[in-house]
Amino acid sequence: MFNLVIGQYVPADSYIHRLDPRSKLISVFLFVIIVFLANNWVTNALMVLFCFLGIALSRLNVSFIYRGLRSVFIIVLITFLLNLFLSSGGTVLFSWGFLRVTSAGLLQSIFIAIRILVIIVVTTLLTLTTSPIEITDGMESLLNPLKKIKVPVHEFALMMSISLRFIPTLLEETEKIIKAQSARGSDFTSGSLKSRVKAIVPLLVPLFVGAFKRAEDLAMAMEARGYHGDFGRTKLHQLKWDWRDTLLLAAVLLLAVLLILARY
Amino acid sequence: MKTVKMLAVNALLAAIYIVLTFFLQPISFSAVQFRISEMLNHMIVFNKKYFWGIICGVFLGNLFFSPMLPYDLIFGTGQSVLALLTTMIVSKFITNIWARMLVNTGVFTLTMCFIAWELAIVLKLPFLWTWLTVAIGECVVMLIGMPIMYAINRRAKLDKLI
Repeated sequence: MFNLVIGQYVPADSYIHRLDPRSKLISVFLFVIIVFLANNWVTNALMVLFCFLGIALSRLNVSFIYRGLRSVFIIVLITFLLNLFLSSGGTVLFSWGFLRVTSAGLLQSIFIAIRILVIIVVTTLLTLTTSPIEITDGMESLLNPLKKIKVPVHEFALMMSISLRFIPTLLEETEKIIKAQSARGSDFTSGSLKSRVKAIVPLLVPLFVGAFKRAEDLAMAMEARGYHGDFGRTKLHQLKWDWRDTLLLAAVLLLAVLLILARY
Repeated sequence: MKTVKMLAVNALLAAIYIVLTFFLQPISFSAVQFRISEMLNHMIVFNKKYFWGIICGVFLGNLFFSPMLPYDLIFGTGQSVLALLTTMIVSKFITNIWARMLVNTGVFTLTMCFIAWELAIVLKLPFLWTWLTVAIGECVVMLIGMPIMYAINRRAKLDKLI
């Protein structure tokens, strides 16, 4: 019933897989800002080209990328249609009742659709080639400066790692609880809204109690092993920044420059 | 985060958030948001120490399930931080749990304007219409969540756990 693969990480050995998670995170965040620079066919083509290059370098099967895109098809379609009918300008290409499609509207909706698709490809590439633990480590390292303003960065990252560890356990537990409550005659799938809401409570109470019991055990185990916070703590996986990471950042910046040049 | 126990409890709370998000994944992200795990936002009215767990849950939820990942990480998490802080401040003056939950629902519904703003920038969707649709989803989930979280608190004693 629960075939959740946490994240979508596909282990492999490729240029993109080997990159430091920090450089990938920075690049993705830069990329989602520079997509706003694209405003004509040339700039959009450049972005699409960049995505294809990324996919090729990741050596991933295209079906993985397609799966990521398929789930958002509806969003792309709705956004496309809304932009198509709500924006104006240019010559009228088609009108039916109050609906009007203009040339500028059509162009804008196509560009927005491309924008969504490239964003999704790039973020899917990140999650396909970087394990959640790597992402957590990378974020902790990138957010380190926030410690100066008393943001508990280390604790937050550790919390994320613990959470990741326990999600499969809790999913299993939830499945057990559902079965146990169904065996006692609970019905989660039919009845009025009120009865369905009522049915959620006997599902959630054991989930909370069980989860918090685990948390207590875990806290005790951590203390017994001498966990004492961030200070002087060493890491199992050391992050290492090398020339590949610098190259990736350079490529993203080059894309930004090209987009700015091709804008006009 | 003062104690190890607080850290562990919040981590498990975030895991619960993900588990609940997973249950209703197909209708959790898009213009009409209907994320059942959002009712865990009410945890803040029982004990403000749950703050980091909720934030962590929202963050991981967006990391795993959101197609608009980078924007949702910033806008979605930012909205939760702001709304939770507002409820924490208001809770200093209100002691009734139901009133606090109602305030929390209102705050979260209003701050959905951040999500609408995000969608308006990225997808060029009309701001007010988007705000209305995302706010309705949030409001419904959080209203339904009120009696559920109240019942859970009565049995699991969420307010005294950490």
